[in-house]
Amino acid sequence: MIPIAYNLRSLAVRRTTTLASVLGIGLVVFVLAGALMLSAGIKQTLGRSGKSDIAIVLRKGSDAEMASSIESPTLGLILSAPGVKKDASGSPLGIGELLIVATMDKIGVDGVSNVQIRGVPEQVGRFRKGLQIVDGRAAQPGTDEVIIGQRLRGRFKGLDLGQSFDLRKNRPAKVVGVFAYEGSSHESEIWADIDTVRQAFGRAGLFSSVRVQLSSPSQFDAFEAVIEGDKALGLDALREDRYYEKQSEGTSIFVTGLGVVIAVIFSIGAMIGAMITMYASIASRSREIGTLRALGFSRPAIMISFLLEALALALSGGLLGIALSLCLGTVRFSMMNFASWSEIVFSFSPTPGILLSALVFAGLMGLFGGLFPALRATRISPLSAMRD
Amino acid sequence: MNSSPQASPSGSDRGAASDIAEHARPTTAESIISLRGVRKTYFRGKEPIHVLQDLDLEVPVGGYEALMGPSGSGKSTLLNLIAGLDRPSAGSLLVAGADLGAMSDSQLARWRANTIGFIFQAYNLMPVLTAVENVELPLLLTKLSASERKRRAQTALRIVGLEDRMHHYPRQLSGGQEQRVAIARAIVNDPQVLVADEPTGDLDRQSADEILTLLERMNRELHKTIIMVTHDPAAAERAHITRRLNKGQLI
Ligand SMILES: Nc1ncnc2c1ncn2[C@@H]1O[C@H](COP(=O)(O)OP(=O)(O)O)[C@@H](O)[C@H]1O
Ligand SMILES: [Mg+2]
Repeated sequence: MIPIAYNLRSLAVRRTTTLASVLGIGLVVFVLAGALMLSAGIKQTLGRSGKSDIAIVLRKGSDAEMASSIESPTLGLILSAPGVKKDASGSPLGIGELLIVATMDKIGVDGVSNVQIRGVPEQVGRFRKGLQIVDGRAAQPGTDEVIIGQRLRGRFKGLDLGQSFDLRKNRPAKVVGVFAYEGSSHESEIWADIDTVRQAFGRAGLFSSVRVQLSSPSQFDAFEAVIEGDKALGLDALREDRYYEKQSEGTSIFVTGLGVVIAVIFSIGAMIGAMITMYASIASRSREIGTLRALGFSRPAIMISFLLEALALALSGGLLGIALSLCLGTVRFSMMNFASWSEIVFSFSPTPGILLSALVFAGLMGLFGGLFPALRATRISPLSAMRD
Repeated sequence: MNSSPQASPSGSDRGAASDIAEHARPTTAESIISLRGVRKTYFRGKEPIHVLQDLDLEVPVGGYEALMGPSGSGKSTLLNLIAGLDRPSAGSLLVAGADLGAMSDSQLARWRANTIGFIFQAYNLMPVLTAVENVELPLLLTKLSASERKRRAQTALRIVGLEDRMHHYPRQLSGGQEQRVAIARAIVNDPQVLVADEPTGDLDRQSADEILTLLERMNRELHKTIIMVTHDPAAAERAHITRRLNKGQLI
């Protein structure tokens, strides 16, 4: 084996061209890792919103809460279904909510974006135990007071503590609190009194969804059988985690797909860059390579040596790209959730798997980019050692 | 065709090395290099260039021979054939018991690693490796342990008097020192034959003489058979025999 130090130091000697190739590959890996991290962030954010021991009931045929409507009286029927957990006082744990999308003015950029407004009943905290007011206070029931998820804060006009905005034309609402909700997508929602929302949007007597706490995850089948069994009700029951998974699928596949497509296109450029670097560096070392052959190193040994050199080059780029992508950890990314047509704020979520795939991708770029130059190197004759 | 003179066992006497006639050796001497009717033809387009023509050559074990001749007469071509870097177009070529014409590229590579030590005009050290790393290179083709390789590389450097420059890079060494490192690399594997193509061609007189003295020691003390192409009469003077090549034929 030709010592790897030979290759590493040769790369170091060719500082400028090596650096250019490393930057190129680093950029590609950055894009790829960024996209994968964002996709994972989306899954994580939406996934955190769902639990397997909560069932969500929607109008049959509605894919999303937004598109669903359930009449008020049905709530009692749903809560009395089997499998629903009861609290100490014997009343079933469930909640009916109304979800609306409103357009809001963005801060910093011109334009508007959709924000979800969730109408919640007075005892919302009884069911939604993960809710945590991180700033300000809870809203007074039956008023125009609202609380906003912490990820919305400062991103839209009027959406910050103490400010006001129009729920609807001439229907002002006042932000009295900011909440956290276990990092879930609820943190990109506005929560208002359900009756206020019903009035403002003309949805009297309607819920979008009903959620119930199951006494255990295994109770879901019994619950579902009763809810879906009554065809006249026209309802669908889903586990909440499964529901959010379905919501995030489209978006996360889109982001992953886009990232991979961009990365693959860029990688062609980076690979050609690495290939040119390797070709040039091999051409300028033909006497050295000829000498190695004369000393008795075989063609496969030369092949391996230069593939390793290309691999080292690419992995340096990979590590650079990964380091850059880790800086994205602090960046918040807002984007359209296709399922709800509203903005949700995601963060980039680096996982060991993503970092490893990014590195493997870099390595493959190195091997493919280095293949032809390495083959060229194996064809250098030992006689080149003698030529001037 | 030319039948080459046989070397005498008293060849280590360097005083009268250059006169071929004086150094005729008994035919019973064991040859380490044996060429019979060797031809080398290159093609420039369709036109053949007969670089070596029906060459016969016997070199005894432990011989030290200089190869002289005008530029383009085929000296390097002949040396490359003997070193197993190239194959003859015709004829038989036996070196250290191997029939080089019949061997594959990879067989030749393995054979070179074991049998031939190379000394180049331009030293051909790897610029990014230190002296000791350069010397160690041929040992990477053996099964020796890392510590044993290091030990042998150091020994070889001590033999050429550069033990204290072990961790210097080639650019930190003078030309003469670089060539001494190259000689250490050539002997570290204990090959039977050293081939040197104008080993003093790039050196000043004093460095050249040091290198020639070193080569002489390799021949006398380590019993290496040496074939050296040279333009320098003073270099040829040190060999047992000087052969002259002209237009692809030994004269
Ligand atoms: N690979 C080659 N292809 C074509 N011609 C060659 C090749 N190598 C050497 N020659 C020719 O063979 C002749 C002898 O070359 P060489 O052995 O290098 O001579 P010397 O070492 O005596 O100067 C020259 O005319 C040279 O041009
Ligand atoms: Mg020559």
